[in-house]
Amino acid sequence: MLNGAAALFTWTLRMDNRYVHPHLVRAAFALFILFCLSMATFDAFGTNRTGLVFFGLVCQLNVVLIAAAGVSYFVTAVSEEKDAGTFALLQLAGLTPLAITLGKSTSRLVSSLMLLVSQIPFTFLAVTLGGIRWQQVLAAWICLAAWMILVANMALLCSARCNNSSRAAGAAGVILLLWFGTPAALRTTLAALGPGTLPAGLTQTLTQLPLLLEIVSPWKQLDQILHQWDSADMLGSQFWVSLLLATLCFAVSTLRLNAWTRPTEDGAAGQEQGGRRRWPVGRCWRLPLAWRDFHFFSGGRTLFMARWLGWLLIYSTLIGIQHLQLKAWNWALTGDCGLQMLLLLAVTLSIECVLLATGTLHSELRQMTHSSLAMLPLSSTRIFIEKSIGCGLSVLPTLSWIGFVWLLSGGTLANQIDGNLVLTWILLLIFSTHVAALLSLYTRWAAFPLTLLATFVAFFVIAGPILLIPSTVGMLARTHNFQNSLPLAWAITIFWTWVLLVLPIQLAIRERWLVMVRK
Amino acid sequence: MLQYDRDTVPAISVSKLSHAFRGHQALNEVTFCVMPQTLHGFVGPNGAGKTTTLKVICTLLKQNRGEVEVFGHNVRTDPASVRRRIGYMPDHFSMYRQMTITEYLDFFAAAYGLPLERRDQVISDVLTLTDMDGRRDDLISGLSRGMQQRVSLARVLVHDPDLLLLDEPASGLDPRARIELMEILRELRRLGKTVLISSHILSELSELCDSVTILDRGQVRFSGPMNLLLDVPGEQPLWTLRLLRPYPQAADQLRGLQGIAEVSEPEFATGQDFILRLTEGTGGNDLLRMLAPLDLPIASVARQRRHLNDAFMDLTTRGVR
Repeated sequence: MLNGAAALFTWTLRMDNRYVHPHLVRAAFALFILFCLSMATFDAFGTNRTGLVFFGLVCQLNVVLIAAAGVSYFVTAVSEEKDAGTFALLQLAGLTPLAITLGKSTSRLVSSLMLLVSQIPFTFLAVTLGGIRWQQVLAAWICLAAWMILVANMALLCSARCNNSSRAAGAAGVILLLWFGTPAALRTTLAALGPGTLPAGLTQTLTQLPLLLEIVSPWKQLDQILHQWDSADMLGSQFWVSLLLATLCFAVSTLRLNAWTRPTEDGAAGQEQGGRRRWPVGRCWRLPLAWRDFHFFSGGRTLFMARWLGWLLIYSTLIGIQHLQLKAWNWALTGDCGLQMLLLLAVTLSIECVLLATGTLHSELRQMTHSSLAMLPLSSTRIFIEKSIGCGLSVLPTLSWIGFVWLLSGGTLANQIDGNLVLTWILLLIFSTHVAALLSLYTRWAAFPLTLLATFVAFFVIAGPILLIPSTVGMLARTHNFQNSLPLAWAITIFWTWVLLVLPIQLAIRERWLVMVRK
Repeated sequence: MLQYDRDTVPAISVSKLSHAFRGHQALNEVTFCVMPQTLHGFVGPNGAGKTTTLKVICTLLKQNRGEVEVFGHNVRTDPASVRRRIGYMPDHFSMYRQMTITEYLDFFAAAYGLPLERRDQVISDVLTLTDMDGRRDDLISGLSRGMQQRVSLARVLVHDPDLLLLDEPASGLDPRARIELMEILRELRRLGKTVLISSHILSELSELCDSVTILDRGQVRFSGPMNLLLDVPGEQPLWTLRLLRPYPQAADQLRGLQGIAEVSEPEFATGQDFILRLTEGTGGNDLLRMLAPLDLPIASVARQRRHLNDAFMDLTTRGVR
């Protein structure tokens, strides 16, 4: 058993070592650290807490990136074998479930821990820069390592359970979303309900539940380490509970691996039975690639309706909470409820767009259909546009709900939302989807976390100059007594952002696509 | 074998085609020609440059040097016209496995700009041709390898191309699926299509193809009619005479004929089979005329040819690239 696990482990590490991309990712992380360092220097200029600011930034980003790696990189540990149809070969080679889970997941974990390790020398700079002690740095790394181990094993569980990588990624995403979202949602609901609305026992349970979920929260632990070090432990409850849960996930994955894999090998997959699909998708549209991406990549009509109904449910819940707060029915969300709904919609739309962008072109590469597409009498630009339309249709539920909420509540929420911030978000969303599409032509599962990293850096590097354009145009317009300066400023900003930022990425995507076609 | 006049535009004309990948010369002055409505075999060892040539012909790859024309359209300067007239089936399965066969074909028909009202007829036609009428609503993921290959073939036919480029269409198929595939290819030739088929299965190619190009290490070793390749170069052709039953005086009678230079019997002879080498200037008709007066119980007379395998081994170099 150990020989098999060791062989899988060393093989995966060797592959990781042989390809240039993992090394580029590590180099990107090193650059990211330098970027954070410069950010922190600016942020804490003139104070003695530069080290703390710098290190805090690095830690927060690492938490997000580890979570992103969970839904992209770690979830493929076992499912990539299922995708390639090679799982049975591993079994035939005499590998036990323990050897498979150990060999496949440990290599990924070690490879990712290397990313943390590569940052350590830089982050000890934080101690020199001031505001933080080396014990805090060490404790923070332990906290991050525990978080990574938990995420990796939770993803392994999804990978072992699901039939393919896409489903595993979806399951891991939902688990992480519930884990992070439930405490905030419960607290908001309880605060809205006020004391005495629910039975005392239930209120107490609902109050305790967020605390229970937050035991493994790296945010809370890091906050304690960085800001209340005197009351924090080097190995806190977050560390031990994370390890315990990780072990549990690993054990369940290993014990159930064979049982969960059997139906996949038999070819039974969800709604598709006996080689026929239960739900027909209708005739191909005049935009065939849009039709293909909408129905066969982004979930089709079923997921479209599910998303729309999901938003209806969330909207109804918030309306209910608002009713309890205001003691009156108001179909438009106002105040915090409206802002939370818009924020949730915006975050979901961003995640949806980036995930679709990472998958749409890569799905063609994975199925090796890119050469067939290249033979069609369609230009590569037309192919990209049609695919964007197909993916765009699938995010229509979220978009339509943003429009709906804005239509009903825009009047009351407009003064609470910064227009420039919205513009920046839109531009960054366009930027990140393009970056995700480009990265997906090099790597599938690292594309999502790398896009987050690139967007984070872009936010600071690009947002400043972008926001400078509208203010400059506005100032010039006022000088010349031009009335509608805002739309003009936004139009100019969008145009220059496209020329300077998006167009080069679009050209790079096209070039890379053609290279892949020629291969 | 179809006859062509000088004005016939070749379906494919490749002239001094050269291409290199990162310093490795994949193709070196490759020149050959495929005439319309023929089945042309494209054979060579692994790494000979077959797929690279096909990719250049189908406009997926831009060559370093040389000219390639498809029905008179240059692949470099007029790729759109070329693409409209060709159907390319790559050597790997490239399919949307979550679609049904009809959806898959409908997708490609729509992508080629066929109007909705025509698509039904086209899909029905190609499914009939590939004998998959009864499986039209099956998911591609549930099909066998042979069936998936048929779907691939049906896919390249939806826009009714004049030229089909098939890269290793029979690889990985069981004998039955291979034979059925070859039948479909014969039917396509009958329908007036030109087919360029790259394959390793030489025995089937020799029976199927009108002409052949043998490529080795990026260079053309032979290109021309299959008959020409299978004749032993520089030697008078051998003929095999088979008798209905053993006939003891047969060898002596045959040796007594003037047009026959040599009579031998094959290994493990039963007295029924004879190998004849004719004298210079004697042809098949002469042989039949000479045999007719003899009192031999003749079952068959056939010209002996090399097997394509032998020709292939003679023309290509040992070793894998």
